[in-house]
Order: sequence, then C-alpha cells, then structure tokens
Amino acid sequence: MPARINVEKLSVEMCEKLLRDLERGKRPVLEATKCSLDNSLYNPKVGYLTPGDKKVQTELNVSSVKKMSRTIFVLELILRNIESGANNTKREVYYIAKGEIKHNPTLKPLDFEDQNESDEIIDFICEMMECYREDLNCFANDRGGQTYSGQLIVEETMPDGDKAVIDLSKLGTAPFQPKNRPQSLKLKARKKIDFCLIVESEGTANTLVSSGFTKRNNVILLGAQGVPSNAVRGWTKLIQEELAIPIYFFGDLDAYTLQNIFRTLKAGSAASLIRNQDFSAPDVKFLGVLPEDIKKYDLPDYAVKENDATESRALKKARDALENDPFFQDKKNKGLSDILKWLLKNKRRCEQQSFFSVNPRDPLMPEKIILDKIKNKNFV
Amino acid sequence: MAKASAAITSSSSAEYFSKNLQQVGFSSYTKAALTTIKEAVDNSLDACEDADILPEISVTVQRLGEGSGKGADHIRVCVEDNGPGLLPEDVVKVFGEYLASSKFGRGRCSRGQQGIGISAATTWAQLTHARGALVITKTTKMRQAIKCQVEVDIKNNRGILKEKESYDWDRPSGVSCDFLIDARIQMQGEGGLLAYLNGVTLVNPHLTLHYKILDEDWVHIERIENTVPKIPEPTEPHPHTMKLGEFIAHSHLFGKTRVSAWLKTGFSRISDGILKELKEHGVKSSLLERAVSSLSQEEFKFIFMGIQKLKLMAPSTKSVLSIGEAGLAKSIQRIGAVDFFAVMSRKPTICDFKPVLVEVAIARMKDKGSEEESIALLRFANRVPLQFDKAGCAMTKAVVSVNWKAYGLAQPKNSLPLGPYIMAVSVVSPFIKFKNASKETVDASDELVEELRRALIQAGQRLSKHIRREVKEADLEKKRQHIELFAPILVDGACRISKAGKGRREKALEGLAKILGREAHLAEKELTEAIEHSEAALEKLAQVTGVLPAVQEEPEEQVEVGEQMSLDGIEEKKSKKEKRKGK
Ligand SMILES: Nc1ncnc2c1ncn2[C@@H]1O[C@H](COP(=O)(O)OP(=O)(O)OP(=O)(O)O)[C@@H](O)[C@H]1O
Ligand SMILES: [Mg+2]
Repeated sequence: MPARINVEKLSVEMCEKLLRDLERGKRPVLEATKCSLDNSLYNPKVGYLTPGDKKVQTELNVSSVKKMSRTIFVLELILRNIESGANNTKREVYYIAKGEIKHNPTLKPLDFEDQNESDEIIDFICEMMECYREDLNCFANDRGGQTYSGQLIVEETMPDGDKAVIDLSKLGTAPFQPKNRPQSLKLKARKKIDFCLIVESEGTANTLVSSGFTKRNNVILLGAQGVPSNAVRGWTKLIQEELAIPIYFFGDLDAYTLQNIFRTLKAGSAASLIRNQDFSAPDVKFLGVLPEDIKKYDLPDYAVKENDATESRALKKARDALENDPFFQDKKNKGLSDILKWLLKNKRRCEQQSFFSVNPRDPLMPEKIILDKIKNKNFV
Repeated sequence: MAKASAAITSSSSAEYFSKNLQQVGFSSYTKAALTTIKEAVDNSLDACEDADILPEISVTVQRLGEGSGKGADHIRVCVEDNGPGLLPEDVVKVFGEYLASSKFGRGRCSRGQQGIGISAATTWAQLTHARGALVITKTTKMRQAIKCQVEVDIKNNRGILKEKESYDWDRPSGVSCDFLIDARIQMQGEGGLLAYLNGVTLVNPHLTLHYKILDEDWVHIERIENTVPKIPEPTEPHPHTMKLGEFIAHSHLFGKTRVSAWLKTGFSRISDGILKELKEHGVKSSLLERAVSSLSQEEFKFIFMGIQKLKLMAPSTKSVLSIGEAGLAKSIQRIGAVDFFAVMSRKPTICDFKPVLVEVAIARMKDKGSEEESIALLRFANRVPLQFDKAGCAMTKAVVSVNWKAYGLAQPKNSLPLGPYIMAVSVVSPFIKFKNASKETVDASDELVEELRRALIQAGQRLSKHIRREVKEADLEKKRQHIELFAPILVDGACRISKAGKGRREKALEGLAKILGREAHLAEKELTEAIEHSEAALEKLAQVTGVLPAVQEEPEEQVEVGEQMSLDGIEEKKSKKEKRKGK
C-alpha cells in the first residue's frame, strides 16, 4: 500500500483557503466527510461500507471557532511529526499537545480536558483529508490479532528499510502480533494453507492452539480480542489479499458480536468510512455460533436479559441495523440479517465456548465441530 | 366658610407625648437620631413647598462624645433650610408645643400632618441633654435673624423661649435648628440614615441636599428639577370617607350655617341634585334649612346615614400630587450608579374613596446590593420615606404579590425579589391611612394593594425589557470575547502552516473582525425581535388580565447596543449560507 495522501500539501492548501476567506471577510468553512451510517453506502461487489457524498461543513462562528483553532493547532503538531518521521499514538499526541500548551500560555484556551477531545480533532483531520490516521503518523495501540500458524511466514520492512522475516512455526505457542502497518508486511505460506480462523475470544484461540489445532491443521488462527482493532482489521485484509484463502469468524451468537465485531471485520464501520477499504475483509464468513447449531449440538443458550442495559442496547441497535444499516439490508447479507431477526425474535444468545459442553470429556470436540462446520459449509 | 386656616393652633398633650415618645419615633437611640433629622427635613421641605421656594437643605451630624444614657452617644444634629422662615412668636409654638401645626386636617399631601414631629425632637433633646432646640430663623420681613433656644413646658404644653438674641445670617430667609441629643448613628440598612437621605433625594427631584455625617466627607446632591412641585389645593372631604364622629366634628367649623349650605360647601360631591335625592330618602326640607349648630346627635346621624345610602361621585383626584416619571427617572440616578431603570407614574385614582397616586421606580444599581440579597425596597408616603415595620405595609405586600420572575428577577416564594435593585414605591394621598401612630406602615386595604400591584407590574414590564436586553448583551459580549480569544491562535497557526507573511496575517485578522461585526449585527437583530415579540405577548396578557401595559416609553430606552456591538458598522445584506458539493 503506497503512501496514498500528501498530508503536507493538503494542509497548506487548507490553510491557504482559510486565510484567503478571512482576508476577504468571508467565513471560512472546513469540509469533512460525514462519517455516519446515514452516509454509508454498501455495494456487495465492493464488499465494505464506503462514504456517500454527504459533507459536514464547519463554518467559522462562535460555536466552531474553538474546534477550528484546535484543528489548526493539532495539524501543526502532526506536520512536525511527519517532517521528522516521528510516530505517535493518539494518547501521545494528546500529551504532546498538552505540553505545547503548557509552554505557550497564549494557547491556553485550546487546552484539552481529556484525550477524547484531542482524539476527536485527529479524527476530524482524517475526515477532512480523507486520510488514515496512520497517514498522520498517528498509530493506535495494537490490540488483538495474536496469530498462530504452522505455515505462515511474515516479511516485514521496517521504517529504516531493514527487513525481518518471521516464521510463525518457529514461535512455539507464542503468537505473532501484527502491527498496525499492513503496508510494511508481506505474507508467504511454506505450505498451502487451507483457511484462516478468527476467534472472537483470544482465550479460546489460545486454547485451540494448546490443544494442537495449528499442529493438526494447515491454518492461520487468530484471536480478535473483541471488537477488532485497526491492526486486526488491516491484518485480516492482508491475509485475504495476499493468501486468498477462506476466512472464517467464530464467535458468540448475539447482536453485539454480529454487528460490532463481525460486521466491522467484514465491511468496516460507519465511523471509519474512509479507511474501510484497507481495513475490512469482505470475504470473511460467519462460522458461528449459528442459531441452528444450538439445536444441532444441543448447546446451552440463555435468554437475553432485557433489563440489562448493555444487552437491551445491543438489541435496539440490532433493530436499527435492520432498518438503517445498508450492510444488513443488502440481499447478499440476508443470511446475516436473518440471524439478527432470529436474535430479536427469540431473545436468546449462545456463546462460542458452549462448544466445550458438547462432549466435556473430549477436549478436541470444539475443533471437531469447527472443522465439521467448514466441511459442510455450515456458515453464513 | 371656614376654610382650614394656616394659623398655628395648639392643643394640650405635651405630657402625653413626652411620656410616649417611643410612639412618635423615639423608641431607640438609633431611631432618635433618624427621627430628629427626618422631622426637621420634612418640615423644611413642606415649608419650602408652601412658600414656592426651591429647597436647599443641609444636614450635619456630629458625635461630641459619650451620651448621658447607657450605650448612647452625645450627638449634635443640625438641619438648615432656605425656606420662608418662622416668626419669633411661631418658633416657640412650632418647637415647643405639641399639635401646633399649620397643616392639621387640611386634606393636603403635605409631609407633616399633625404638629407633633419637631416638638417631640425638642422634648427628646431636653430629656437627654437638658437643653431644647437651638433655632435660628429669619423671614424676608425680618431685618435680622434671631437665634434662640426653645424648650417644652411639658406640664402646660407651652413652649419656652430662652436666650433670644439677634443674629447675622447671610440669607434672605430660612430656619436652622440644632439639637443635642442622646442617640446612635446607624448609616446602613433599611433603618439607616443613608436610606432616609437617599429616599428623600429620590422623591424630591427639586431638592438640593448637602450632608455631612460624622467623619464622612460632605456629600452634595444637586437638584435636577427647577420647579417647586405645585401642591394641589385641598378638596373638601368626601362624606363617604368619613365616620359619624368626623362628620359631626367637621360641622363645628360651620356654626350657624344652614345644613344644606354646609353639606354643599363643606363636602365634595354634594350638589343640589344630591340634596333632592336626600329628601326623597326621607330627610325633611325643614331639617336641611336649620342651622348646623342646632342639630342634635340623632339628627346628625340621620342625615349622615341618609348620605351614606346615596350614590355619590367618587372624590376628585385633583388634590394628589405626582413626582412624575421624568423627575423620578432623573432623580434615581442621583442615589448611585444605575445600570438601567424603569419608572411608572399611575394616573390618580380612588382607593377606599380616597384619591391616591401611586408611582414606582426600579433601578438596577452598579455598586449596591448583590444577586443573592433581597432588593432594597424604599417606601414613601406623601414623599416621606418609611423605614420601619415594612412587613405589614401595603407597599411591601404589593411587591411580594407580584410575580417578578416574569420580568427576569429571581424571587423566592412569598418574598421580595432578589438582586442589586432599588425598588421605590410611593403613595401620595391627602388621606393616607397609617396602621399606627408612628406612621411607618400604610394600611393594606385590598383596593390600595391592587392599585400598587398594577403600578409595579407595569414598571416590571418596562424593566424586563432592560433585563432581557442585558442578558442578551452579556451573551453577545461573551460570544464576541470567545471568538476574539481564539482568532489570533487560528490565524497564526494557519499562517505558519501556509508560510504566509505578516501582511496576510493582519488582513486575515481584519477580515475576522468584520465577520464578528456581522455576527453582532445579526445577534442585535435577534435581540430586537425578541423584545418586540415579548411586548406583543405582554399586550395580549394585558387584554386578558385587564392590566394595561406601560403607555409611555422612558426616554433612555435607546441603549447603545448597535454602537457597542458593530465593530465596523458593516452590514450583512443577506446571510446566505454557502453550500458546496462534495468532491
Ligand atoms: N423649617 C420650617 N420653616 C418654616 N415653617 C416651619 C418649619 N418647620 C415647621 N414649620 C411650621 O411649624 C409647623 C409645625 O411643625 P411640626 O413638625 O410640629 O408639625 P407638622 O409638620 O405640621 O406635622 P408632623 O407632626 O406630622 O410633623 C408646621 O406645620 C409648619 O407650619
Ligand atoms: Mg413636621
């Protein structure tokens, strides 16, 4: 993935325009892509959510002047980073900004109360320039994505140009942790890999590894660790692009997993419309837990506690998704929206770990079921 | 006919009053000082008004040492006026005799009514310092002023003149009186000296006042009106406002006059037509032809009852006097730095069959009071400040009964509103009904309270415009400051990123100021619209409630929002929001 965007050039252009407007006594307007569900388009051929042409216009006035000033201020810090080649996390950018303000009292009015405020500005810059946060040399924490495989070889080009080769089969039970820089990685398989399995729970992924899943099968196994981070999303996309192998997702059967975790992995999210292209893997299939698995394997499920705030919120979101989310509305994803409907109707949920109950004496039972489901194309 | 004469009459009561000084304002050391000053100043104002002189009064208060009584200071009070002065023979009556008054029962809106005030002050001085009043007086007829000491002969209710001597005084006429008393000086608070002096200033726009209290500097307050208020001629009493006893007492002034003539000339609103009606109600013609002095109690009662049954025209309101909105408006600015204010003068009206005129002035003060404190309520009866026992007073009741929140003031339940405001309420009437002898509370009759309420509501409506404007203005100013805070940061940042030079920076900042001007302009428009809107709403409310909104506009209505806010005077013709298509 080449550097897609010249942040410096865009910044100068933006400031030029702002000054020109001011000089003419005209209110400057900053325009950013609207990153929300109502500006999300979904085309099954593209496979991920893309931005529509709605823009958010921030015109200079009493309520926006602070945000505008902060934007220019943070942009200046970022440009300095880009020039010097320094990378930072959002949290670090927050502290850099605070430090800058501390040493320059005239900037006091810009001060950030907490990191959310500076994150918001960074996101705004991305939405304005339609760039990735990484283009701003600003990286998120790499969370999740611990990867195990007997066949995968990763080649990394480091910032200084040095190369490193990681053979995952040499790592024992330790995982490979992908960095949020898919463009610097190249993948190779020492032997044909049959599929990639992404497990929602990092713990369960680990259990599968210790019981020999990756020894017995030619697979890539990775733990998502909840809602997939950019690292997980970019990494999955890379696997899809470079290895062209089937990818399956295995997680809980509930509204949250389906929408927040699986949909994000497969098609990206409304909040990250600009980056979905490189941070979603449209080929991922939902292996389960499927509603039919409950009967088929007699899995212990339980009722959704409707008076539980998080669970009822997830249900409400599911209802909204069926009405407004172009991803779930698309015919091609009918299988998935049917699951959502099932969840809404039955108000039951079933966890991925329930596979361990099928035959408690057989530790390999979950693996057997997974392989069985893949073999029988028992996925959505 | 025996019109109430201006001659000074006396009746014997010195003993009673000297034993009951607490009833006439000498119930504590602090009140003693205040009452002494108040009685003297009120007299000076009345005398000047009667003589058509623009009053100039000076008040000095000194502490000479410890007083004779426990906890008292030895205080010297001196009040000097440029009034008509008193003849030597009157001085002794005025300062030394009780109930010697030229104003007694005259049905005028004078401050003094009874002839008690200043003699009580003399008595107090005598009781606490064994010396009466030291008086200097000069009328225009006298070649030289005289200086004398007056004491009260308490046993006989007679004044005693002592140490009379002629005196060189540099003025055509006037009175100066000097009292040495036991007292305590309280400056602040509702019962304080300042409240009295401010109050007097407020309701007497034609007064020039100088005062020096204790170690404070001299304060000089110039008059802002150059005409002496015309005290309307008194009207004859209205029979429906009288009790039988008063009715009979009133007849004594008429002696052998025929009853019909007495009724027609001695009372207002009794005409030949009314007398005819009276006869139809069974009062015989022969009775009406008799001499007033020959009537028996029973006959008086018969006539009185007959008249009470008739429908009479309400009394005339000509006898009441108004301070006037213009006078109040200017006067209120003399008592401190005022942010904004509203005044309201009602037309004279009849309450409980007596003519009354209610006026209200409300001012937001810059350096008095606070948002958390109650407003300062100043009450006036015939232009005399009332400073005590406010709870039961008609004026207090009326203020509390108004919903001030509707006009933008905070107001706890059943209480006075809060804020740095002075609220002055004045009732002028030849027949003010006080609740007690010390004349501190006006009787709260339903009709009077309702009339006061109306005045207050109207003043509140006028005030609320200012308050809304102020809130909006503060808002506007905040917004402007907000933008100004960030503007240079924004422009400097943009200049650094685009490597723009100093010239462009200046131009951009200029442009920003223009944009701000427009924003202010827009906000100003919004403000005017809001005010117009609320006025329309008030008018509607008035139609429903029968309370008319304020008729006139205060001249100082034009607050310079425009000038203040438009930084450059540039107007925005159309505020068309530009919308551009996404790329
Ligand atoms: N400074 C003065 N200059 C001229 N005349 C005065 C002055 N002070 C008092 N007088 C006259 O003396 C009379 C008596 O005054 P006094 O204060 O005793 O009674 P009052 O003012 O009539 O009634 P009140 O008891 O209500 O004060 C007044 O009515 C007035 O005619
Ligand atoms: Mg008097």
